[in-house]
Amino acid sequence: MKIKSGFWVALTASLLLSACSTSVERLDAQEQIDLSGAWNDTDSQLVAREMVEDALSRPWISKFVNAKGKEPVVIVGRIKNLSHEHINTNTFIANIERELINSGEVQFVASANARQEIRDERADQDLNATESTRKEMGQEFGADYMMQGQINTIVDLDGTTQVRFYQVNLELISIQDNRKVWIGEKKIKKLIKNSKIRQ
Amino acid sequence: MRNAIIVILLLLTTGCSLQQHSNNQLANQLLHENPEKILSILQEDTPNERDFAQYHLNLGYLQLLSGEFIPAIESLTQAKQKMQSLNATSISENIGAGTVNETLRSYSGYPSDRVMVHNMLALSYLFNQDIEGARVEMLQADIAMKKLAEDKSLVGQLASTHLLSAIVYELLDERSNAFISYQLAEEILTERKMAVPEGIKIALLRMSDKMGNDQAYTRLSKKYPQSVQKSYSGKQIFSLYFDGVVSNKRQESLTVPSFSGRQIIRISMPAYPKVNYNLQRIKITDDIQNVSSEVIENIENLAREDLAHDYPEILLATTTRATIKYAAVKAADKKDPLLGAVFNILSVISEVADLRSWNMLPSTIQFSYLQSNSNNIVISSLNSQDNNLDISEANQHIILSSSLSNNLFHYQQ
Repeated sequence: MKIKSGFWVALTASLLLSACSTSVERLDAQEQIDLSGAWNDTDSQLVAREMVEDALSRPWISKFVNAKGKEPVVIVGRIKNLSHEHINTNTFIANIERELINSGEVQFVASANARQEIRDERADQDLNATESTRKEMGQEFGADYMMQGQINTIVDLDGTTQVRFYQVNLELISIQDNRKVWIGEKKIKKLIKNSKIRQ
Repeated sequence: MRNAIIVILLLLTTGCSLQQHSNNQLANQLLHENPEKILSILQEDTPNERDFAQYHLNLGYLQLLSGEFIPAIESLTQAKQKMQSLNATSISENIGAGTVNETLRSYSGYPSDRVMVHNMLALSYLFNQDIEGARVEMLQADIAMKKLAEDKSLVGQLASTHLLSAIVYELLDERSNAFISYQLAEEILTERKMAVPEGIKIALLRMSDKMGNDQAYTRLSKKYPQSVQKSYSGKQIFSLYFDGVVSNKRQESLTVPSFSGRQIIRISMPAYPKVNYNLQRIKITDDIQNVSSEVIENIENLAREDLAHDYPEILLATTTRATIKYAAVKAADKKDPLLGAVFNILSVISEVADLRSWNMLPSTIQFSYLQSNSNNIVISSLNSQDNNLDISEANQHIILSSSLSNNLFHYQQ
């Protein structure tokens, strides 16, 4: 009898402990998973890809190539988060940069922060590197266009149901004369239904 | 076996009430000890899972007052997410609360807590030099207030949140949004029959003037003739001041013998004591002017308003629980009078009111506004030493001070 009750206690304890243990599962980074309905990696990748595709399919690029005989040089500037969520715009900027570089249709220059680090390195090389390996100052590629934008949201709610509307606006501005050569817009609408019952 | 269950239940119920008691004591200590000291005591504590949100609200607030902005953001965000996740109803917790007491329900925050958490988060982001993070919190606060809005009720509608939104918008040069938020703050104060601080009157005039909204400016000039200024230029100082510590709830119990005299029936309800708070103001002076802070949020009243809003529900749950306990004791008594007596003792001991609240918040939040051409200002209060602040490096300044310490937090741009 004692052995029997001991068995049940051990079984119950092991079941309880297994319920408490942490589980980890590796997922494909491309897999679409929505947990809370908030802006996530899928939205960031999707918006970046579609907007860059749109930007590169417009006539500004062919006009530039015909006029200058080279691909335009682009830099991604500030993308303001005007939404109601704490969105890490750095990952969104990184997605845009990747899409732009991988398209092969534009040339790309590093951001202001990265440039400063490289300039510091060049200054250091100026003092310490050999003549044959030293990189000179004043050889940087100047960007022709800067991409800027903002992420906005509108939230409508009724009880446990929410509609979240995200609008991403990007624009490409000529650095020489402030002309806007492309304006893109991408909208995402999400219907989020929260459960009325929890554990 | 039966004895063991009884002991466990007793320990559980006394554990809950002891936790509440120590938390309330710690909040009372805040009036005599600095926030850093209370924070270190609180950090040694491990909260019960059901008190997670309450613990992190208090923790985050103390971290903010201690100048630990990043930890404050983490703690308050955890509390915010927990309160959001507790929006849904839990069947197991309802059963526990319906049969034992209300403390078996997770603390999901009162309506004011759900909005106030955004204020504290916004201030933490702001003093962490992240005004865009503060803006996000203000947008979320707006959604939270819309969710809580009920017809003809001001539950969960905070003038301080609209004011903070307005200041953040003004600093970001979003004039229209700022004007709307100042108006909303004014509306709530008027509906609550509170005096509109001079700083808000001036802000309404300033924003309507800057937007070129002549119609609104004329209307507001007639409404607040004393607040019309010759010029709305100069360095802007927005000052927020946290005064005191909000009251704790206390338990009010009624113990009566049953009709047959075979049982003791007890009901316990939470209540707030009479407000025992002496308002203190701060003064801000430059070379020429002198402004006093004015109340923008009376948290003592908000806490009582929140409890009054929930009171019918708590009363219904308490009386239903008393009926269930009565029936259970009666059934046990029928089987075995000794068991019935033990059940009766348990039912009485376990009947405790839920005294949890965000009980380290200030009693009032006060606001003052100064437009100055000086390079220095002095912030003075009765309880602490004067603080001199250099404002020469920027044109817009937000400062936060508290009656609980000499810390002064400053954001400038």
